[in-house]
Amino acid sequence: MVMKALSADHAVAWGVRLAKAEVIPAFPITPQTLIMELLAEFISNGELDADLIPAESEHSVMSVAVGASAGGVRTFTATASQGLALMHEMLYAVPQNRLPIVMVNVNRTLGAAGGIWAEHNDSMPERESGWMQVYVEDSQEALDMTLQAYRIAEDERVLLPVMVCLDGFILSHTVEKVEVPEQGEVDAFLPAFVPRSSLDPSEPVMMNPIVPPEYTTEMRYQLDRAMDDSRNVVHQVDEAFKAAFGRGYGGLIDEYMMDDAEFALIVLGTAASTARAAVDELRAEGRKVGLIKLRFMRPFPHDELRRACSGLKALGVFDRSVSFNRYGPVFTEVSGSLCGSGVPITDHIGGLGGRDITVRDMRKVFSLIEASVEEGKVKRVYWHGLREAKG
Amino acid sequence: MAAQTLAEAAILGGHHAQAFPYFGAERRGAPVRAFTRIDDKRISIRSQIYEPDMVVILDETLLEIDPVVDGLRSNGSAVVNTRKAPSELDIGVSVRCATVDATSVAIEALKAPVVNTAMLGAVAKVLDLVTLENIQKAIADRFGEKLGPRAAEANVLAAQLAYDGTKEGRCLGARSIVQRRMWLPEWDEVPTGVALEPEHIEGVAVGPGSSIQNMTGTWRTSSPKYDREKCIRCLRCWFTCPDVCIKRLEDDHVKVDYRYCKGCGICADVCPVDAIDMVKGVHEW
Ligand code: SF4
Ligand code: SF4
Repeated sequence: MVMKALSADHAVAWGVRLAKAEVIPAFPITPQTLIMELLAEFISNGELDADLIPAESEHSVMSVAVGASAGGVRTFTATASQGLALMHEMLYAVPQNRLPIVMVNVNRTLGAAGGIWAEHNDSMPERESGWMQVYVEDSQEALDMTLQAYRIAEDERVLLPVMVCLDGFILSHTVEKVEVPEQGEVDAFLPAFVPRSSLDPSEPVMMNPIVPPEYTTEMRYQLDRAMDDSRNVVHQVDEAFKAAFGRGYGGLIDEYMMDDAEFALIVLGTAASTARAAVDELRAEGRKVGLIKLRFMRPFPHDELRRACSGLKALGVFDRSVSFNRYGPVFTEVSGSLCGSGVPITDHIGGLGGRDITVRDMRKVFSLIEASVEEGKVKRVYWHGLREAKG
Repeated sequence: MAAQTLAEAAILGGHHAQAFPYFGAERRGAPVRAFTRIDDKRISIRSQIYEPDMVVILDETLLEIDPVVDGLRSNGSAVVNTRKAPSELDIGVSVRCATVDATSVAIEALKAPVVNTAMLGAVAKVLDLVTLENIQKAIADRFGEKLGPRAAEANVLAAQLAYDGTKEGRCLGARSIVQRRMWLPEWDEVPTGVALEPEHIEGVAVGPGSSIQNMTGTWRTSSPKYDREKCIRCLRCWFTCPDVCIKRLEDDHVKVDYRYCKGCGICADVCPVDAIDMVKGVHEW
């Protein structure tokens, strides 16, 4: 193990190098570009034996990735925002064909209103695509999840692509302390990819045929079961990772100060860090607050959340994107899972377009959650930092 | 670069550290902000820094255009690139202060006025959390990897020279801190449909994140000088200026808006009769 000062983008590139990805199609887009730049450097230095294939668009990038993965090689790519949107069509070619591609999406607001800063409105719409989705919080987790993602995706009980999401700039360009594992340790944790079937002229198969209605329901159900079964694999891989490297992330969710918490916040990505600092402050003041870091949006941790939230007086959800007139997507998902639990839930929308989230903002969120038990005072959704006329 | 190298030096010293830039619409030489946090435990907060313990100012002239010392308390400290001694320097708040002529140091060591690494040498002198040795090691790592061993060596030297030349003391806090004039409308005042109204300011869009707040004229390192006598009024410059900084007068002569001119030189390049000359430095005529 060596200690390095790395940005999350560079930490991902190290993860990809250690995972020995063989084909890397790429199209540049901020704030993802640092990943591809470092991978290109690794390849030209002979430190990574991979083909980096510049394609003419993100749509083509995913097409190349599909071909490579179908050909039986470990495949990686990364994108952001408008790039992910342009890939949308090809994203759907991956899960049903059961191709274990790993992609990093560096969360960036999807325009218009355009910008380069973090928002989750690029990746949230892709929940329906059949990709697994994990949101990470720091550079170490970005590297570790790149490794875990391959082991999860390639598990024969899963065989689904994984999208590792990390917040643009707040994480992608933030340098911090990262433990980079040794190649030998990684090889032991992540054996070489053995494809279930691959495109091979000597043993022809047909992939991605047109499917008449007699089969679609069964194929979709198969995918639904695979996504559901992946929950166990996520936990097992996290346990195995912890045994190998000493770091575990709790699998689908990560709980903080939840044992005796009366009020809790569910949050994903980098906002979890700042929320944790707020929890520390509030705990020191004697307030019984806790934090649930939602790591996976797909598979969604339905059972885990019902268990973690039972007995709470009130719950809040922090959303970094919004479905207009229907709250944020995380709120909608959490509400669905906690239906009938009796726990009042409020939605807290913030950090849009990369607006800064401070410890003070998070303290305010907790105060609103605490207040939400008082009848009559409660709104269901708060837009934090919104400038509006008072009174 | 400097913020990240500082974080790396702190990590080499066994601390936890975090460094990140604030990205706006900018280019090299434009004013940028970057943040570094150093702690003995894992750093959880990921917001920008609003109440810094230390402010490092790489360009003294920023004091005129940006509230760079906002949030700095009297028990904080500052490191400033200037020829002045701390006691002669007024940054708007009186704090423990270290000054160094980093520009001269950089020109001596690097043959270019790029002051990042020199300023890190000065920081090493006043900040207990990092040693000069670790700063130099971090510089060698970062620059060696990117630009090769000679660049690394020159930058390590810049840090050393700055370290040796740093003066410590207390600066003055008499001047008033400039305020940024940011347009922050309430939600129902934001122009509908991301459509920016032209307003009556030449060459400037008004609206969310618009250039009215971004005085791009401060980015300029050379300035277009217009010769009215030579001008044949073809309007090529007016048409091609990427920042709409060439103002068309009623008689089709032109005028440069220096508040926003970035000094790209395109106008001088397209002028068929050399009526625009690019002059080194920030000037207005
Ligand atoms: S130098 Fe560039 S920005 Fe300035 S007036 Fe000429 S074309 Fe416009
Ligand atoms: S391009 Fe030259 S000649 Fe033409 S209007 Fe501009 S300054 Fe005058």
